[in-house]
Amino acid sequence: MAIACETLIDGLLLGALYALFGLGLSISLGVMRMINIAHGDFIVVGAYLTSLTMQFLGLQALTSLIVVVPAMFVLGWLLQRLLLNRVIGGGMFAPLLVTFGLSVIIQNVLQETFTADTRSLQAGDIAQRGFELGSISIGLLPLLSATVAVLLFALTHLLVARTHFGRQSRAVADDPATARLIGVDDKNFFAVVTGFVFAAIAIASVLYAMRTPFSPSAGPERLLYSFEAVVLGGLGSLWGTLVGGLVIGVAQLFGARISSGLGPFFGHLVFLLLLLARPNGFFTRAAR
Amino acid sequence: MSEPAVLSAQGKDDGGTKGWRVSAGLPIAFVAVVILLAMLPWYADFAAQRLLVEVFTLFAIAFAWNMLAGYGGMVAIGQHVFVGIGSYSLFAISNTFHLNPWLALPVATVCTATAALIFAGPMFRLAGAYFAVGTWVLAEIARIAAVNIDWLGAGAGMPLEMIGEFDRWARNAYVYWAALGVGVGAFAVGAIVLRSRLGLALMSVRDAEAAALASGVPATRAKLSLWVIAAAVTGTAGAVSYMSTLQVTPDASFSLNWTASAIFIVVLGGIGTIEGPVIGTAVYFALRETFADFGAWYFIGLGSLAVVTMIVAPGGAWSVLARYANLDPFGIRRRTPGDPSASHQSPSPKQERQ
Repeated sequence: MAIACETLIDGLLLGALYALFGLGLSISLGVMRMINIAHGDFIVVGAYLTSLTMQFLGLQALTSLIVVVPAMFVLGWLLQRLLLNRVIGGGMFAPLLVTFGLSVIIQNVLQETFTADTRSLQAGDIAQRGFELGSISIGLLPLLSATVAVLLFALTHLLVARTHFGRQSRAVADDPATARLIGVDDKNFFAVVTGFVFAAIAIASVLYAMRTPFSPSAGPERLLYSFEAVVLGGLGSLWGTLVGGLVIGVAQLFGARISSGLGPFFGHLVFLLLLLARPNGFFTRAAR
Repeated sequence: MSEPAVLSAQGKDDGGTKGWRVSAGLPIAFVAVVILLAMLPWYADFAAQRLLVEVFTLFAIAFAWNMLAGYGGMVAIGQHVFVGIGSYSLFAISNTFHLNPWLALPVATVCTATAALIFAGPMFRLAGAYFAVGTWVLAEIARIAAVNIDWLGAGAGMPLEMIGEFDRWARNAYVYWAALGVGVGAFAVGAIVLRSRLGLALMSVRDAEAAALASGVPATRAKLSLWVIAAAVTGTAGAVSYMSTLQVTPDASFSLNWTASAIFIVVLGGIGTIEGPVIGTAVYFALRETFADFGAWYFIGLGSLAVVTMIVAPGGAWSVLARYANLDPFGIRRRTPGDPSASHQSPSPKQERQ
């Protein structure tokens, strides 16, 4: 029973990180109607950037966020301005295939620059620390990353629900043509949104790199977990993405209990089964 | 999106609407080339045969990807799942029943088609970009399953035992002929499907789904048929490809590289055209044979080329050619009767809007 409880809690904490991976995907799907196939690869780019920052600026893993978040924001902004704005709004082919090409490019550039070996961060003290809750032990780092994830979801929710920026994003998501008519500069707006998405990716990638060793080819798997969180949650539902991530995390860790190599397998299996049971996800807004 | 297909779907039946731009010389040239290729084992060495096995099988896979994406509107990033299933079922059946691998090949085709039918359950709940990534989940789950099933040799995979009973020449020649058959067969199946009512239904759904549904086109059934056909082609091609390498492993046969190559071929050649994969395969292998020594830089260059193609000429090389020459050698495109401008119907839905 204690083992089951511990697996459940660990799964929820891991799932919160997956939800954080999915946050950016959820936003770019909601606002720009595109899936960035290179999403996972950008998470890995963030991880390498963190590693470089620590190496050359002598920062700690968490303080490297000061550099990595703005750097990733700029990367996202530039990517959208220079490349992705040319291909969105004209059907699904172009964005899918262009970001697919990007994914191949990024993986090979990373491999050429950093070799194909896995790399891990010196997360320091925090990675080892934890505390006991009855007979259950909880790691401090997973707890921290889950807390950050939930806070970021709350922040994004407030941003979308309460601010001018959020109103714009909802307007563009609902009807880009009309939004343009009433003066939303959608090209620039998309660039800012992608910048925000990349800032979220940056935070996710620092937390991810502190927990797990990473390699240039780790991207696609991150994309799949993000994707599963978004689809399970229900398209266009921010909090749904959080719940979807939690479900995938829990499924993976219970799967890993059954057989250590089968964690991701059970994550994917639960995704496919839930897709059959609830094709529209847990939280779907009324069909338009 | 594009009107012509819908108009001809409502209007007259096939006959008058097909564009026959074919000169009498073309079928003869085609048959001559196939005969010349079929005699290749008698005048070319094993290395050439093995390279052509790769060319034909990858062409078939790219062709199937193009049918799904370009005509069915179904981008399958996880198409390599069928390469894995096709090759694994060939190896498992041949090894278990001590069956001649070439007799096991049709069984592998049927296995892949059946798997596609089952996968359609969850996958057809997704559309567009979601379908694209969803198929990738499918491929991942199949790969992990293959890694963990001892009967399939787990992570190390398994050899094709029965092929040891053939001498070297026969083995190479038979695999080569099988590959040639798969390549030509994929093209023939594609041409037949696209010229049939199914092809008309698919293209009308691709170009204007709401209008097609309103005209009574059974969209889901058409897409399901295409999905199963494309899977069968991919599975057969994968099986033949691994006949050539004699050993199947989960990480290689369920590798994204299969789909990535297919995507590069189709994007470079021209998405949504039957000629595109032919040109794309030629370009792809020309690039590979020239630059493959550059390792990672080769892939970086290939990825960049695909990105640039999508932005500059989303219809690929064929669209650039066809724009100037107005070609339709295989009579695939459909035109509205009495509308000469429709003969310039562009191959890619994306271009229509520009």
